[in-house]
Amino acid sequence: MTSNALTNVRTAWELIFAPAIENASSAMSAWTNGEVSLALDEVREVAVEEVAEALDLTDELSTMVMLAVGGAMGGQLILTFDRENACRLIGSLLNRDVELDQEWGELETSALQETGNILSSAYLNAITALTGRRFWPSPPLVTEDYAMSVVEQAVMTQALTEDRVLLCRTRFSRLGKRVEWNLIFVPSPELLQLLRDTAATL
Amino acid sequence: MTATLTTRRAETTVGMGQIAVLTGDERASAVLGSCVGVAIFDEKKKLGALAHIVLPTSAGRPGTPGKFVDTAIVWMINELRSRGADPRKLTCKLTGGATMFATNGPFQIGQQNIDATRQTLAAANVRIVAEHLGGSKGRRITFECDAFKVVVESAGEPSVTL
Repeated sequence: MTSNALTNVRTAWELIFAPAIENASSAMSAWTNGEVSLALDEVREVAVEEVAEALDLTDELSTMVMLAVGGAMGGQLILTFDRENACRLIGSLLNRDVELDQEWGELETSALQETGNILSSAYLNAITALTGRRFWPSPPLVTEDYAMSVVEQAVMTQALTEDRVLLCRTRFSRLGKRVEWNLIFVPSPELLQLLRDTAATL
Repeated sequence: MTATLTTRRAETTVGMGQIAVLTGDERASAVLGSCVGVAIFDEKKKLGALAHIVLPTSAGRPGTPGKFVDTAIVWMINELRSRGADPRKLTCKLTGGATMFATNGPFQIGQQNIDATRQTLAAANVRIVAEHLGGSKGRRITFECDAFKVVVESAGEPSVTL
């Protein structure tokens, strides 16, 4: 493949995901009173073995909001952050301090769930508009676990049939500064094919 | 077929589809979800291997041997034998195979990995001496070769030593 062809492939993926990120960014900005915004970091197809490295995942525990992609095709959206950033977000949404070692109750968990809902709904609405197929997020699940272990299972749908998986990575800024949040979108093989077909028409 | 083989001092991180071969006081770690961590050991030789296996069967697909149960275990046994291990004396500790998403995706892949691993080890006459399998949480495992210890950490739970 020539470098021009490679550039075209990358541009097509960016055309697919840029509206999703833009939608999600607007929704997050409204949800957080302008504090948090998103931008497309990169879209890459990587070997299954290289997923952890591609996403800079460590073996530390992360806070995650996990949502499945509803509709005929499936996939996963995973919002990850370290506990410090999760506490900052919760504190900002609830307008009070949330200590790092504080156990979260229903209210704190709800704040994260709603963040996942808003982000993923906006994201999937844009994918729906682009593809003409309807997608929606499942109820969010908030968990603390090893991000790598969750992503590992999320990419399994693609790994069953393909040696490379598509990963869309998003960077977040809070009050204008980059923060270590990560939104990882892993489409199912069927959704990936639909996105490829759509990209080919752009 | 070429193998992903990492032999280092200190602690080696074993990524998806990789195998580490260890001797003496070397250690290796992995973070597992639905994948299985297979630690095989020859106690007399203080020689072991840890595989981070992704899928139950290669079904003829190309890929690194560590990616599939059938190819990984055969590769590990052959590699340990080539380094002086006695295949009749090998024992195994098994971890992983969680099911983390209950309602969407290839959700029994963790159990399929567990089943395939048990069958392949049985066929190779490698005895399983300890296991920490299934559930819905991820695991961070550390394999300490010289003592043949596998330490399993899960979020919100005390660590377990196999």
